[in-house]
Amino acid sequence: MSNSNAGETVVVVREVCKEFRRDQLTIPVLSGINLQLSEGDYLALMGPSGSGKTTLLNLIAGLDRPTAGDVIVCGQNLGQSSEGELAKWRSRHVGFIFQMYNLIPVLTAYENVELPLTLTSLSRRQRDDHVKAALEVVGLQDRMDHYPRQLSGGQEQRVAIARAIVTDPTLLVADEPTGDLDAKSAGEILELLHRLNTEFRKTIVMVTHDPNAAARARRILHLEKGLLVSEVVSSRAKESVQ
Amino acid sequence: MKTFKYIWRNIRRNPIRSLLTILSVGFSLALMTVLYGFLASQETWKNGAAQANRIVVMNIQGFSGALPISAVDDVRATQSVAAAVPFAWFGGSYQDEQMPFAQFATDPNSVFDVWPEYSIPPGELTAFKTNRQGCVLDRRIAARRGWKVGDRVQLKGAIYPFDLDLEISGIFDSPKNTDSLYFHWNYLNEGLKQQSYPNIDNAGTIFARISSSDSIPTVIKSIDDKFGSSDTPTRSQTEAAFAQMFVDMLGNVQVLIRNIGLAVVFSLSLVTANSMAMAIRERVTEIAVLKAIGFPRSRVLFMVLGEACTISMLGGFLGVGMGCLFLQGMNRLLPQFFPFTVMEMLGPWISYGLIAAALLGLISGIVPAIRAAQMSVIDGLRRIA
Repeated sequence: MSNSNAGETVVVVREVCKEFRRDQLTIPVLSGINLQLSEGDYLALMGPSGSGKTTLLNLIAGLDRPTAGDVIVCGQNLGQSSEGELAKWRSRHVGFIFQMYNLIPVLTAYENVELPLTLTSLSRRQRDDHVKAALEVVGLQDRMDHYPRQLSGGQEQRVAIARAIVTDPTLLVADEPTGDLDAKSAGEILELLHRLNTEFRKTIVMVTHDPNAAARARRILHLEKGLLVSEVVSSRAKESVQ
Repeated sequence: MKTFKYIWRNIRRNPIRSLLTILSVGFSLALMTVLYGFLASQETWKNGAAQANRIVVMNIQGFSGALPISAVDDVRATQSVAAAVPFAWFGGSYQDEQMPFAQFATDPNSVFDVWPEYSIPPGELTAFKTNRQGCVLDRRIAARRGWKVGDRVQLKGAIYPFDLDLEISGIFDSPKNTDSLYFHWNYLNEGLKQQSYPNIDNAGTIFARISSSDSIPTVIKSIDDKFGSSDTPTRSQTEAAFAQMFVDMLGNVQVLIRNIGLAVVFSLSLVTANSMAMAIRERVTEIAVLKAIGFPRSRVLFMVLGEACTISMLGGFLGVGMGCLFLQGMNRLLPQFFPFTVMEMLGPWISYGLIAAALLGLISGIVPAIRAAQMSVIDGLRRIA
């Protein structure tokens, strides 16, 4: 995992609007969003359902393109990239963590973590080193031969995090990573994300409804009806300043 | 982790559905293999006959007409004819078996001159020639029934009102299974005379070997001209044309069989496509995750197509294998209908069957594969909730 200098701008969201079309209806989801994240930032996106949190996350992760405005992540203007270019870009720069873990049930923990590496030109031995290192970070090196059904929810999410970090991406996007976990497991996952942010300087964007989870982030943005209504510097950030 | 490993794990994900799909492809292709094998066997016979310098002389009315035994000598006397024999189908039953093997009344002195590719020990041939109730048979019949020289074989007449009591004088080897027994034409004719059978002195058909293939057209014309003004005008043809005549009898059946084959492949592609579509529908979220982490459309397309092709190819190998085993079994049990081995019968048809299976996989997988490749990541991930 890289541990480069802080301060470099990773995400620039400039006057972004996003609309969806349903039949003849045009539904505005995001309006005039501006946002900038530097390397090592940890942002929590909060807001009620339908406020546009996940849509903004998808735009930053290169899963979708804005209707207007620019989304520039790791130097790439995502709105101007083709589908193929975005896929290639995501494989290099973004790690995904989902609420329901989304591991492939027919693959072992090891194979799930190895999956993104099959898109690279790494040799088998190099892939093996990367996979084992990622599983060690999440503390599951002893479960690498287990299938997802043989793991608890918290363990599955840790494997999913290992899969997200195995390519050493600049940006981690997490869509309610603790939404399906009990309090203890959720705490462990949040602690792991905190470690990835502080120890490995990963830039993290997390969508959450949970104020406790959001409190772990450095910045908290509140969205409502597609607009950024407030930004809060979290208690953690304040503590770190003090 | 290689892509094929992932494809294989996905096939094993729902083993019952995969197995049923493989079996449905397998049984249908087995049926096709057997049908096409039967058709191909006719072609094999025709192609084999084309290599022999033999002609068949028969009454112009076909099998319903007779040829006098004196015609054999007339054929022998024709220039360029090396040997000729009467060849009358007996069609008797053996014990409870209606059509145990082919039986022909012929001339023991010349039969191995007309078919020089058959080999028989000289002593056994001499015994056959000198024993009026002697017979010779294909080694495969003897092996199948455990018969040996000196054994007696009783054949009950089905066409003729005369039963044969034969002694095996010899056993001959032939390049291909003839499934035939040859006995003295005289023995049959004399037996029929005793029964006051009206149609005696009938040679049936005449098989003749011509000294060179270049002479065949001249010989055919010469024989047919010779008998043209007699009571029994003839129609002479090469052995290949004679074989083609039997193939042509199947004319519409061949078209029917081929069309049935195509219909089977088409309906199977629908079944397999439905199975693949179900499999992909169940995996929408997974495919969305793969695409989210950077799998390009081409790789998703390849994985789904690979899965469909693997399933249909497994069915193909199973089906062609079962079909070949069935044909081989029929070759052993009913060689009169399936006289050739699987390789002789099928040859390229085996690869055609496997190509059909691969095409089936491509056809059935292409639509689900394109849909999976083009699926929106956002829509796929939304199904999580």
